[in-house]
Amino acid sequence: MQQEFSKEEIMAVYPKVAETIADALGSEPEDVKLDVSLIEGLQAESIDFLDLVFRLERAFKIKIPRGKIVEDARGDLPESEFEEKGIVTEKGMARLREFLTEVPAERFKTPMKAAEVPKLFTAETFCKVVLRAQKAAAASA
Amino acid sequence: MSAPGLFDSGLAGKVALVTGGSRGIGRAIVETLAADGCDVTFLYRGSAAAAEEVVAAASAGGRAVTGEQADVRDSAACAAAVERLAERAGRIDVLVNNAGVIRDGLLAMLSDDDVETVLDTNVGGMFNVTRAVAPHMIAKRSGAIVNLSSISGQKGGRGQTNYAASKGAVDAFTRALAVELAPRKVRVNAVAPGVIETEMSQAVREMAGDEQLKSRILLRRYGEPQEIAYAVWFLASRFSQYLTGQVIAVDGGFKME
Repeated sequence: MQQEFSKEEIMAVYPKVAETIADALGSEPEDVKLDVSLIEGLQAESIDFLDLVFRLERAFKIKIPRGKIVEDARGDLPESEFEEKGIVTEKGMARLREFLTEVPAERFKTPMKAAEVPKLFTAETFCKVVLRAQKAAAASA
Repeated sequence: MSAPGLFDSGLAGKVALVTGGSRGIGRAIVETLAADGCDVTFLYRGSAAAAEEVVAAASAGGRAVTGEQADVRDSAACAAAVERLAERAGRIDVLVNNAGVIRDGLLAMLSDDDVETVLDTNVGGMFNVTRAVAPHMIAKRSGAIVNLSSISGQKGGRGQTNYAASKGAVDAFTRALAVELAPRKVRVNAVAPGVIETEMSQAVREMAGDEQLKSRILLRRYGEPQEIAYAVWFLASRFSQYLTGQVIAVDGGFKME
């Protein structure tokens, strides 16, 4: 499958993203591996994502609309097709696997509650968030 | 660095944002925080002349005091004003959500506009400004948010369904946000004034009648804006560092009917 960003592009922003994650979560920088789940590996809480996004905006001088990650993860899929009664549908899971290519396959456990989707997010997920925001800014400049 | 003195509020050099700061209680809050050494930015909706007066009075002690025209119902305007302040000052330590309006009337007589204006300003405005400010406080792992509630939130009066509902929401918001932000060392409290002598409460006082109203207040008089400002100042200061999620009534001992 065509990757959205090359390894080089990811690695170009990774050091600063990792440092920002460590600052936001109060973790040791060496614990912020590219594939670490922020919630399960670094004990992040949902409010930490707000803090992290805020810090990334400042560190990279970009704008990341609130709720953007989950919205992007869902893609064109309407909410009603993405989840049913709080559980991610099969279509939704397929979309997540396609979008979150950085997440190891074994972490996509079914049935997955929609509220648990952020558990999938890794440091690399946030590298991609930064790259997407940079791309959007370049496109609109 | 030496420990702060026993009577040092810790507010000197802090950066505060006050909504609805050009009149009444808001003005007293702006002046009190500035007098204790805060740099204060306040939002106001209406009169630029009144705002200029507040800037002149509050900055007399040498602190930077800025008035910004913004309607708290406009979330984009709030976000922009907060960003400008953060850019200018580098941080925001204290937020006072004071902006509020009253449109009293019996429920059946309230227009859509009476309901919407009160809820959008008193509740929506608090959401708009707090949402923009909170990330700055979370990032610094410190901050104090003080919301202006009202005695009406707990002891509703006739003709105040819209206002009472909005202030009940302020109380609930205060408690919920205190839970959310406590792990990030941001405190959230509210002050619930009783009947205060301001332009805003004039109609309420006239409608209820002075004697009748004062007979329900243990101290037998209305409060002054400054008496509310003192409570807000306390909740913004180091003196209340072990206090969060509380709604403090400053009402002269207002009795329920």
